[in-house]
Amino acid sequence: MAFYDSLFNSLGLRDWCDAGKTADGPVSMADLLAKAGVVKEESSFDIPFPSLDELHNACASVGQSRDVTKGVEDGFLAIKGVLRFVLDPLTQPLSWLLEFALSTIEATPWWIMFPILALVVYLASKSWKLVVFVIACLSFLAFVDHYDHAMQTLAVIYVCAFLCVLLGVPIGIAMSRSDRLQRIVIPILDMLQTLPPFVYLIPLIFLFSITEPKLYGVAIILYAIVPVIRLTDLGIRLVDKDVIEAANSFGMTDKQKLFGVQIPLALPNIMAGINQTIMMSLAMVVIASLVSAPGLGVLVLRGIRNLELGVGLVSGFGIVLLAIILDRVTKAALNRVNAAQKH
Amino acid sequence: MTDDIKVSIRNLYKIFGPDPAAALQHVYDGTTKADLLSEHGHVLGLRDINVNMRAGNITVVMGLSGSGKSTLIRHLNRLIEPTAGQIDVDGEDVLAYDEDKLRDLRRQVMSMVFQKFALLPHKSVLENAGTTLKVRGVAKREYLAEADKWINRVGLEGFGDHYPHQLSGGMQQRVGIARALTSNSPIMLMDEAFSALDPLIRTDMQDLLLELQQELHKTIVFISHDLDEALKLADHLVILKDGYVVQQGEPQHILLHPSDPYIEDFVSDINRARVLRVRSIMTPLVGEIPSNAHGEVDYDDTLESMIARSGGDTSHSYVVMKDKQPVGILDMTSLVRALVPRAAPEDGVRNY
Repeated sequence: MAFYDSLFNSLGLRDWCDAGKTADGPVSMADLLAKAGVVKEESSFDIPFPSLDELHNACASVGQSRDVTKGVEDGFLAIKGVLRFVLDPLTQPLSWLLEFALSTIEATPWWIMFPILALVVYLASKSWKLVVFVIACLSFLAFVDHYDHAMQTLAVIYVCAFLCVLLGVPIGIAMSRSDRLQRIVIPILDMLQTLPPFVYLIPLIFLFSITEPKLYGVAIILYAIVPVIRLTDLGIRLVDKDVIEAANSFGMTDKQKLFGVQIPLALPNIMAGINQTIMMSLAMVVIASLVSAPGLGVLVLRGIRNLELGVGLVSGFGIVLLAIILDRVTKAALNRVNAAQKH
Repeated sequence: MTDDIKVSIRNLYKIFGPDPAAALQHVYDGTTKADLLSEHGHVLGLRDINVNMRAGNITVVMGLSGSGKSTLIRHLNRLIEPTAGQIDVDGEDVLAYDEDKLRDLRRQVMSMVFQKFALLPHKSVLENAGTTLKVRGVAKREYLAEADKWINRVGLEGFGDHYPHQLSGGMQQRVGIARALTSNSPIMLMDEAFSALDPLIRTDMQDLLLELQQELHKTIVFISHDLDEALKLADHLVILKDGYVVQQGEPQHILLHPSDPYIEDFVSDINRARVLRVRSIMTPLVGEIPSNAHGEVDYDDTLESMIARSGGDTSHSYVVMKDKQPVGILDMTSLVRALVPRAAPEDGVRNY
């Protein structure tokens, strides 16, 4: 006898309810407990919330909660074919890029890689101190034989952050020019930013094969693209109205205004967005090791799975070093941009 | 100085709000600014403005904040679109221009100087000054050469490679003026160009502008809230109040014959000795030069210099010379009389 029996009886729905009764439906936990002879005592304090499961007990025609999750799953699997058909070719270049970056970095010996990285750091920051610091960090990682893993992580971040900027800056510019687009995109960005990183992985695993690099590539890009879009939009909207008016008064075309005034003046904000995007790529590449992303995350995962404390901590420290390197270099570049356009 | 009318504004109205066209009808029917705001929720920006600006003249539009002067100047290059009216530049109706022609107007005919300078912070002084030519697609070497010429002309030799943030406010505005001059446009719009500067630097900049004007004869529209500045610069002075023209004309004339208590009040605080000139108060010469004259004075001398010259003796009189020809007699007694405003505000209390 279920709690809500009387409700359905009084509504005269008993016949409809009983019609839905099937003998071989999935067995619920409550049914099992009842069979085992465990009977809960009922008092007036125990009015159960009219949840799906509770109503189902009273009326078999009402579905159970697990039908909801099953419905979502079936729905997703139903559109999976179409989604895959569209997304697979679209994201294939991402796989190629990631594979190319990983194999290139693997094929490059360390004594070529170090000078290249030193040069990149110098060009971005114009600071020898930072170059020395970066080389010292990388040497340490190489010294404890984490060089390959660190380089794989860097390669993945490089590709994903690059694509984030490539896609995010134009989206941000478009948003800054259209209030309507901004209203549409901002909730999507909010959702991407608040979804726990693990949740991205679930539908992606179904969409793409787990052996494909694009699986984690897409997860990282979706997670990390948000700040660069937001800050590009914000930066362009914050450009001094007086300067924009001056640009108009000199008869600048929209294109001249965008490339000659708005983007250069928004650059500090855009750079701050890129910095955030790179840091978030790093965070996600560690989590994405769950779905076969290579790099230091794999070692962290090993540390967790096998309870190898030392392995986990050392690789975790390696990730911190990478984070510091990436942050310092992008911040140095940002400061150079800021210094060039003080007001 | 020629008498060609370069810019002509006729029956210009501007109403801010959701439905300006409907509100315009109320204004035609005589609704006041305050009523329009409280009853119809629209702001009357400009009401029936009629101004003719002559080529080679400095037209100063003066008014307190909220009088619509900045709105007015932005109508000339259509940074703001009017609700009704007509604006002719060189006899062509600017309001009929399509986007391309409007852009050409802004590039070739009008250049603007801004109160807050509005320089590009990431570009050097030279590149900033060259912006107006750069937008026209002029080659870099050419526009930098032209910019360099004007940067030197406004007194910033050697600062071409600096960035705006390394310069003081006055120097930044010199760059702003150089930028407008580089475009070689016949009309310059100056929106409170000197209002953000210190008083001393402001005087310097006014002198610079007058000096440049003597040489270049541009048609300048200058917005100001400072009467001293307006009187110093203006060939033609337009006084705005609450969006309409209270009085316009030759500044000396306005000072001596204010048409409205508002303007009387306005001009009463002015150092008249410094602003008024001999030509405004002399009596035209009839017949012979009187023999008792104490000397010759120039047509454009200020009264201040006359007081110094006469040593304060009101019995003196002078022959006024213009282009080496005697044109009038200056009687020191009439000079002293002109120094007293027609209606001084009582007890220093302002009526407006």
